[in-house]
Amino acid sequence: MREQDAYKDLSDLFRVEDNALPAEPFTRQVMHNVRKRKRMRRFVVGGLGLIGASIAALQLPELLGEWVGVDKTVTAALTTAPSELSTAAVNQLSAAAMSNPMWLAIAAGAALCVFAVSAFERA
Amino acid sequence: MRSDPDLAHSAAQGNESAFAELVRRHQGKVRGMARRLAGSEATGDDIAQVTFLTAWQKISTYAGGTFSAWICTICWREFLQWRRRQKMEIEFDETAEIIPFDRSADQTEMRMDLTRALETLSEAQRVCVVLCVATGLTHQEAADVTGWPLGTVKSHVLRGVALLRTRLENANVA
Repeated sequence: MREQDAYKDLSDLFRVEDNALPAEPFTRQVMHNVRKRKRMRRFVVGGLGLIGASIAALQLPELLGEWVGVDKTVTAALTTAPSELSTAAVNQLSAAAMSNPMWLAIAAGAALCVFAVSAFERA
Repeated sequence: MRSDPDLAHSAAQGNESAFAELVRRHQGKVRGMARRLAGSEATGDDIAQVTFLTAWQKISTYAGGTFSAWICTICWREFLQWRRRQKMEIEFDETAEIIPFDRSADQTEMRMDLTRALETLSEAQRVCVVLCVATGLTHQEAADVTGWPLGTVKSHVLRGVALLRTRLENANVA
Protein backbone atom coordinates (compact mmCIF):
# COMPACT_ATOMS: atom_id res chain seq x y z
CA MET A 1 0.00 0.00 0.00
CA ARG A 2 1.35 3.44 -0.91
CA GLU A 3 1.86 5.80 2.01
CA GLN A 4 -0.63 8.27 0.51
CA ASP A 5 -3.44 5.69 0.50
CA ALA A 6 -3.65 5.90 4.29
CA TYR A 7 -5.02 9.43 4.07
CA LYS A 8 -6.52 9.52 0.61
CA ASP A 9 -9.86 10.72 1.95
CA LEU A 10 -8.25 13.79 3.52
CA SER A 11 -6.13 14.43 0.43
CA ASP A 12 -9.30 14.41 -1.65
CA LEU A 13 -10.88 17.02 0.62
CA PHE A 14 -7.85 19.30 0.26
CA ARG A 15 -7.79 18.74 -3.51
CA VAL A 16 -11.41 19.82 -3.79
CA GLU A 17 -10.51 23.07 -2.01
CA ASP A 18 -7.48 23.65 -4.26
CA ASN A 19 -9.37 22.87 -7.45
CA ALA A 20 -12.02 25.41 -6.49
CA LEU A 21 -9.45 28.23 -6.71
CA PRO A 22 -9.92 30.15 -9.98
CA ALA A 23 -6.81 29.61 -12.09
CA GLU A 24 -7.08 32.27 -14.78
CA PRO A 25 -6.77 35.54 -12.80
CA PHE A 26 -3.82 34.17 -10.86
CA THR A 27 -2.10 32.85 -13.99
CA ARG A 28 -2.64 36.19 -15.78
CA GLN A 29 -1.10 38.03 -12.83
CA VAL A 30 1.93 35.72 -12.74
CA MET A 31 2.51 36.06 -16.48
CA HIS A 32 2.11 39.85 -16.26
CA ASN A 33 4.86 39.93 -13.61
CA VAL A 34 7.02 37.55 -15.65
CA ARG A 35 6.79 39.85 -18.69
CA LYS A 36 7.45 42.93 -16.56
CA ARG A 37 10.57 41.34 -15.11
CA LYS A 38 11.69 40.21 -18.56
CA ARG A 39 11.34 43.76 -19.93
CA MET A 40 13.26 45.18 -16.98
CA ARG A 41 16.03 42.60 -17.47
CA ARG A 42 16.31 43.45 -21.15
CA PHE A 43 16.39 47.16 -20.37
CA VAL A 44 19.13 46.85 -17.74
CA VAL A 45 21.28 44.39 -19.70
CA GLY A 46 20.81 46.35 -22.93
CA GLY A 47 21.51 49.67 -21.23
CA LEU A 48 24.65 48.47 -19.52
CA GLY A 49 25.79 46.77 -22.73
CA LEU A 50 25.25 50.01 -24.63
CA ILE A 51 27.24 51.98 -22.07
CA GLY A 52 30.07 49.44 -22.25
CA ALA A 53 30.06 49.46 -26.04
CA SER A 54 30.06 53.27 -26.11
CA ILE A 55 33.06 53.44 -23.77
CA ALA A 56 34.87 50.87 -25.91
CA ALA A 57 34.01 52.73 -29.15
CA LEU A 58 35.24 56.03 -27.69
CA GLN A 59 38.58 54.44 -26.86
CA LEU A 60 38.98 52.80 -30.27
CA PRO A 61 40.82 55.65 -32.11
CA GLU A 62 43.34 55.99 -29.31
CA LEU A 63 43.75 52.24 -29.18
CA LEU A 64 44.48 52.03 -32.92
CA GLY A 65 47.00 54.87 -32.61
CA GLU A 66 48.72 53.01 -29.84
CA TRP A 67 48.98 49.92 -32.00
CA VAL A 68 50.73 51.92 -34.73
CA GLY A 69 53.14 53.19 -32.08
CA VAL A 70 53.86 49.73 -30.90
CA ASP A 71 54.33 48.58 -34.48
CA LYS A 72 56.91 51.32 -35.08
CA THR A 73 58.76 50.42 -31.94
CA VAL A 74 58.94 46.80 -32.97
CA THR A 75 60.16 47.74 -36.47
CA ALA A 76 62.86 49.90 -34.97
CA ALA A 77 63.86 47.15 -32.60
CA LEU A 78 64.00 44.71 -35.53
CA THR A 79 66.40 46.86 -37.50
CA THR A 80 68.60 47.99 -34.67
CA ALA A 81 68.79 45.06 -32.37
CA PRO A 82 67.53 41.77 -33.81
CA SER A 83 68.87 39.83 -30.91
CA GLU A 84 66.77 41.80 -28.47
CA LEU A 85 63.61 41.66 -30.51
CA SER A 86 61.46 39.42 -28.40
CA THR A 87 62.39 41.02 -25.08
CA ALA A 88 61.92 44.55 -26.36
CA ALA A 89 58.56 43.86 -27.99
CA VAL A 90 57.17 42.19 -24.92
CA ASN A 91 58.41 45.03 -22.73
CA GLN A 92 56.88 47.66 -24.99
CA LEU A 93 53.55 45.91 -25.23
CA SER A 94 53.20 45.34 -21.52
CA ALA A 95 54.33 48.88 -20.77
CA ALA A 96 51.72 50.26 -23.17
CA ALA A 97 49.06 48.08 -21.59
CA MET A 98 50.00 48.97 -18.04
CA SER A 99 50.57 52.69 -18.52
CA ASN A 100 47.54 53.45 -20.69
CA PRO A 101 44.34 53.82 -18.66
CA MET A 102 42.16 53.16 -21.71
CA TRP A 103 42.86 49.46 -21.29
CA LEU A 104 41.45 49.73 -17.83
CA ALA A 105 38.39 51.55 -19.20
CA ILE A 106 37.84 48.85 -21.81
CA ALA A 107 38.30 46.12 -19.23
CA ALA A 108 35.87 47.90 -16.91
CA GLY A 109 33.30 48.18 -19.70
CA ALA A 110 33.62 44.52 -20.56
CA ALA A 111 33.45 43.50 -16.89
CA LEU A 112 30.33 45.64 -16.46
CA CYS A 113 28.64 43.88 -19.39
CA VAL A 114 29.61 40.43 -18.10
CA PHE A 115 28.38 41.34 -14.63
CA ALA A 116 25.06 42.63 -15.98
CA VAL A 117 24.47 39.49 -18.01
CA SER A 118 25.43 37.14 -15.17
CA ALA A 119 23.37 39.05 -12.60
CA PHE A 120 20.22 38.85 -14.64
CA GLU A 121 20.74 35.39 -16.05
CA ARG A 122 17.87 33.07 -15.20
CA ALA A 123 20.01 30.07 -14.26
CA MET B 1 -1.35 16.69 -23.33
CA ARG B 2 2.25 17.79 -22.88
CA SER B 3 4.07 16.53 -19.79
CA ASP B 4 5.43 18.84 -17.10
CA PRO B 5 9.11 18.19 -17.96
CA ASP B 6 8.34 18.89 -21.62
CA LEU B 7 6.63 22.18 -20.75
CA ALA B 8 9.47 23.09 -18.38
CA HIS B 9 11.97 22.43 -21.17
CA SER B 10 10.06 24.77 -23.49
CA ALA B 11 9.78 27.38 -20.75
CA ALA B 12 13.54 27.20 -20.16
CA GLN B 13 13.94 28.19 -23.81
CA GLY B 14 11.83 31.27 -23.19
CA ASN B 15 8.41 29.92 -24.18
CA GLU B 16 5.98 31.94 -22.06
CA SER B 17 2.86 30.00 -23.01
CA ALA B 18 4.49 26.76 -21.84
CA PHE B 19 5.24 28.38 -18.51
CA ALA B 20 1.70 29.75 -18.31
CA GLU B 21 0.40 26.21 -18.76
CA LEU B 22 2.62 25.04 -15.88
CA VAL B 23 1.27 27.85 -13.71
CA ARG B 24 -2.30 26.91 -14.64
CA ARG B 25 -1.68 23.26 -13.74
CA HIS B 26 0.07 23.81 -10.43
CA GLN B 27 -1.37 27.06 -9.11
CA GLY B 28 -4.07 25.33 -7.05
CA LYS B 29 -1.58 23.11 -5.27
CA VAL B 30 0.96 25.90 -4.68
CA ARG B 31 -1.61 28.44 -3.56
CA GLY B 32 -3.23 25.88 -1.28
CA MET B 33 0.12 25.02 0.23
CA ALA B 34 1.15 28.66 0.71
CA ARG B 35 -2.22 29.65 2.15
CA ARG B 36 -2.16 26.78 4.64
CA LEU B 37 1.42 27.42 5.67
CA ALA B 38 0.96 31.18 6.04
CA GLY B 39 -2.51 30.91 7.54
CA SER B 40 -3.83 33.68 5.32
CA GLU B 41 -5.29 33.63 1.83
CA ALA B 42 -3.83 36.97 0.75
CA THR B 43 -0.35 36.23 2.08
CA GLY B 44 -0.52 32.73 0.65
CA ASP B 45 -1.32 34.08 -2.80
CA ASP B 46 1.55 36.58 -2.53
CA ILE B 47 3.94 33.77 -1.63
CA ALA B 48 2.58 31.71 -4.53
CA GLN B 49 3.14 34.65 -6.92
CA VAL B 50 6.76 35.00 -5.81
CA THR B 51 7.16 31.22 -6.04
CA PHE B 52 6.18 31.18 -9.71
CA LEU B 53 8.36 34.19 -10.50
CA THR B 54 11.33 32.43 -8.91
CA ALA B 55 10.39 29.27 -10.80
CA TRP B 56 10.47 31.23 -14.07
CA GLN B 57 13.93 32.54 -13.25
CA LYS B 58 15.23 29.13 -12.24
CA ILE B 59 13.31 26.95 -14.69
CA SER B 60 16.51 25.92 -16.46
CA THR B 61 17.71 24.30 -13.20
CA TYR B 62 14.72 21.93 -13.16
CA ALA B 63 16.34 18.59 -13.90
CA GLY B 64 13.29 16.39 -14.50
CA GLY B 65 11.53 14.42 -11.76
CA THR B 66 8.30 15.48 -10.12
CA PHE B 67 7.54 19.08 -11.02
CA SER B 68 5.24 19.34 -7.99
CA ALA B 69 8.11 18.55 -5.62
CA TRP B 70 10.36 21.08 -7.38
CA ILE B 71 7.82 23.91 -7.25
CA CYS B 72 6.85 23.03 -3.67
CA THR B 73 10.50 23.28 -2.64
CA ILE B 74 10.59 26.82 -4.04
CA CYS B 75 7.30 27.61 -2.29
CA TRP B 76 8.67 26.32 1.02
CA ARG B 77 11.77 28.53 0.68
CA GLU B 78 9.67 31.55 -0.20
CA PHE B 79 7.49 30.84 2.82
CA LEU B 80 10.58 30.72 5.09
CA GLN B 81 11.81 34.00 3.60
CA TRP B 82 8.43 35.57 4.20
CA ARG B 83 8.60 34.40 7.81
CA ARG B 84 12.06 35.88 8.20
CA ARG B 85 10.81 39.17 6.83
CA GLN B 86 7.96 39.07 9.31
CA LYS B 87 10.58 38.80 12.05
CA MET B 88 9.07 35.56 13.20
CA GLU B 89 12.29 33.66 13.29
CA ILE B 90 10.94 30.78 15.26
CA GLU B 91 12.81 27.57 14.73
CA PHE B 92 10.53 24.76 13.70
CA ASP B 93 10.48 22.95 16.99
CA GLU B 94 8.96 19.49 17.15
CA THR B 95 7.56 20.37 20.55
CA ALA B 96 6.29 23.75 19.39
CA GLU B 97 2.80 24.64 20.46
CA ILE B 98 0.13 25.82 18.10
CA ILE B 99 0.83 29.20 16.56
CA PRO B 100 -2.48 31.04 16.58
CA PHE B 101 -3.67 33.00 13.58
CA ASP B 102 -5.56 36.24 13.73
CA ARG B 103 -9.23 35.45 13.81
CA SER B 104 -12.14 37.79 14.03
CA ALA B 105 -15.01 36.97 16.36
CA ASP B 106 -17.39 35.86 13.64
CA GLN B 107 -14.77 33.58 12.12
CA THR B 108 -14.21 31.96 15.51
CA GLU B 109 -17.85 31.09 15.69
CA MET B 110 -17.83 29.47 12.28
CA ARG B 111 -18.22 25.75 11.99
CA MET B 112 -14.90 23.98 12.18
CA ASP B 113 -13.78 23.18 8.67
CA LEU B 114 -10.78 21.50 7.20
CA THR B 115 -8.56 24.58 7.24
CA ARG B 116 -9.40 25.45 10.79
CA ALA B 117 -8.90 21.86 11.89
CA LEU B 118 -5.46 22.04 10.27
CA GLU B 119 -4.63 25.16 12.21
CA THR B 120 -5.19 23.38 15.51
CA LEU B 121 -2.19 21.12 14.86
CA SER B 122 1.28 21.96 16.10
CA GLU B 123 3.35 23.80 13.54
CA ALA B 124 5.62 20.89 12.65
CA GLN B 125 2.60 18.59 12.24
CA ARG B 126 0.82 21.19 10.15
CA VAL B 127 3.81 21.60 7.83
CA CYS B 128 4.12 17.85 7.33
CA VAL B 129 0.38 17.37 6.82
CA VAL B 130 0.25 20.27 4.35
CA LEU B 131 3.16 18.90 2.34
CA CYS B 132 2.18 15.23 2.34
CA VAL B 133 -1.60 15.15 2.68
CA ALA B 134 -2.72 18.44 1.11
CA THR B 135 0.01 18.90 -1.50
CA GLY B 136 0.50 15.22 -2.23
CA LEU B 137 4.26 14.94 -1.81
CA THR B 138 5.70 11.62 -0.70
CA HIS B 139 7.28 11.46 2.75
CA GLN B 140 10.72 11.38 1.17
CA GLU B 141 9.93 14.45 -0.99
CA ALA B 142 8.64 16.31 2.07
CA ALA B 143 11.81 15.38 3.96
CA ASP B 144 13.89 16.70 1.04
CA VAL B 145 11.87 19.92 0.86
CA THR B 146 12.08 20.71 4.58
CA GLY B 147 15.45 19.15 5.29
CA TRP B 148 13.94 17.23 8.21
CA PRO B 149 14.71 13.55 8.82
CA LEU B 150 12.39 11.11 7.04
CA GLY B 151 11.37 9.47 10.33
CA THR B 152 10.38 12.83 11.79
CA VAL B 153 8.23 13.65 8.77
CA LYS B 154 6.54 10.25 8.90
CA SER B 155 5.75 10.57 12.59
CA HIS B 156 4.39 14.11 12.21
CA VAL B 157 2.18 13.02 9.32
CA LEU B 158 0.90 10.03 11.27
CA ARG B 159 0.08 12.07 14.37
CA GLY B 160 -1.19 15.03 12.39
CA VAL B 161 -3.57 12.92 10.31
CA ALA B 162 -4.90 11.18 13.44
CA LEU B 163 -5.50 14.53 15.15
CA LEU B 164 -7.07 16.01 12.02
CA ARG B 165 -9.52 13.11 11.78
CA THR B 166 -10.44 13.49 15.46
CA ARG B 167 -11.00 17.25 15.08
CA LEU B 168 -13.12 16.78 11.97
CA GLU B 169 -15.16 14.00 13.57
CA ASN B 170 -15.75 16.13 16.69
CA ALA B 171 -16.78 19.05 14.53
CA ASN B 172 -19.22 16.90 12.60
CA VAL B 173 -20.69 15.50 15.80
CA ALA B 174 -21.06 19.02 17.22
